[in-house]
Amino acid sequence: AGTTSKDMDVGRVLCLMNMITPEELMDAEEADEILQDVKEECLKYGPVLDVKMPRPNSGSRQGNGIGKIYIKYESSESAQKALAALAGRKFADRTVVATFYGEEYFDVGAW
Amino acid sequence: PDGTKKRRKKNRWGDSSDNKAAGLMNLPTAITAPMTAEQLDAYVTHLRVEEISQKLRINDVVPADGDRSPSPAPQYDNFGKRVNTREYRYRKKLEDERHKLIEKAMKIIPSYHPPSDYRRPTKTQE
Repeated sequence: AGTTSKDMDVGRVLCLMNMITPEELMDAEEADEILQDVKEECLKYGPVLDVKMPRPNSGSRQGNGIGKIYIKYESSESAQKALAALAGRKFADRTVVATFYGEEYFDVGAW
Repeated sequence: PDGTKKRRKKNRWGDSSDNKAAGLMNLPTAITAPMTAEQLDAYVTHLRVEEISQKLRINDVVPADGDRSPSPAPQYDNFGKRVNTREYRYRKKLEDERHKLIEKAMKIIPSYHPPSDYRRPTKTQE
């Protein structure tokens, strides 16, 4: 999806990258644990409205969005705080890369 | 252990101060410039290659306690020395991942140069 809208830098949706592999997501139990770890941490920066973590299905492991985690905050202030705090952190021995994501794409699950 | 739930891994988060490889690779991790999905994918691929390269260089390859998967049965060479040590297994895993990412980067990033200490595997193993 195109994510180059002008106001993306004041958005309230974050996209976290380089944290998980499709292999980890294939294990439903492990994927649930990952989601729980991420939700817990993200709540430290403000109220969260929704978290989406696209999962591979039996057909395909690849696909847009797989390997990324999207978090929608109640306010853009929280999203900015979280971006600054989470980028560069370690998650399962990988470095977290974070960016803003278009809310309109998040809402419809367009990755 | 029948019916016992798999041991939960400890929380996966770690501090940035504890992130040695990230400090060394010196690449931005908070992306605030608008990028297309393709640009982000290329950037994250590049970053992960650099991250693995630093890990291999500083020998930071074995995950912390609690993050490790169960060890396989030991294998020994002709001299009775163990070959599949923990360090060897995790190093191999990172090298394999890096190899796949470099193949991908060569396809999606124009004029991509692999890290100088990367050697393309000569033959497909196994």
